[in-house]
Amino acid sequence: MNVENVGKEGAGGSPAVESTTQPVLQASQQAWESFGAEAVQMIPILQAQMASVTQETERAALELMGHLRILASSSETVTAAERSASLSQVVMAMQFQDITRQKLEHVGLALDQLQRHVQALLKGPQNPEAQQEIAVLQRVERSYTMDAERRLHEAAVMSDYLEPVPIETADTEADSVTLFQGES
Amino acid sequence: MSKTALIVDDSRTMRQMVAFTLTNAGFTVIEAEDGKDAVSKVAAGTKLDIVVTDLNMPEMDGITLIKELRRLTAYKFTPILMLTTESAMEKKKEGKEAGATGWIVKPFNPDVLLKTIAKVLPT
Repeated sequence: MNVENVGKEGAGGSPAVESTTQPVLQASQQAWESFGAEAVQMIPILQAQMASVTQETERAALELMGHLRILASSSETVTAAERSASLSQVVMAMQFQDITRQKLEHVGLALDQLQRHVQALLKGPQNPEAQQEIAVLQRVERSYTMDAERRLHEAAVMSDYLEPVPIETADTEADSVTLFQGES
Repeated sequence: MSKTALIVDDSRTMRQMVAFTLTNAGFTVIEAEDGKDAVSKVAAGTKLDIVVTDLNMPEMDGITLIKELRRLTAYKFTPILMLTTESAMEKKKEGKEAGATGWIVKPFNPDVLLKTIAKVLPT
């Protein structure tokens, strides 16, 4: 909507009406522009998060295939220790479902926020209820639970971002375990 | 006599992965789908040797569950491990303050989980 044109179209009306309509239209345009800027930034981030789900799924499937081959091998070619290690790796790879589920849930939350923002704007920016609804909309970053999501988000907001950032998950004991026992 | 573990996670696949790991190591496993379910399952004072819980769950989250369990005499000193995708320091601090014994970031390595449990189980 172009405020300037709308104002001119209304030139046939009384100056009093025009002076009260103009600020409302300007506020409306500003609110929509603000939403537009946020949506333009948000959409590539959500696309990147979804692309990482595809990568994660593919990586897990390939890993599972590799370990299934080992587990299906005869005992002459694979030792019990190798079989046990493969089983552990299968358990790790299978957890992709929990990780991708959470990532997609967070994308869903962000889409829900965008929808609620549009619905509030449609009520009109002067509407106090709409203003309150917009004010309480949370930023998508607040829903993240994984470092991988936060890193991907930071990378995706960079202007030179092109491809999904590969997501590496730490599986070493030192990286993944924190014990609180004995801490002062 | 086998040790008993309470596994709390809203993801069925995660519960099964942890249960698979622990039953293979000789544990008897009780599963709960969130904190509220866990509290109801231990209300009778079931003997627990270890609790492994997720953080973000519907109905009752992991932090609240730990606080609830620590209020009960039977579970005041039971080792409780948080098993979650969350790795933020402030969340870990929150877990420690609630009474968690340790924090493991998903995806978990079964060998690392068992080694950590062995470390926190009373000798």
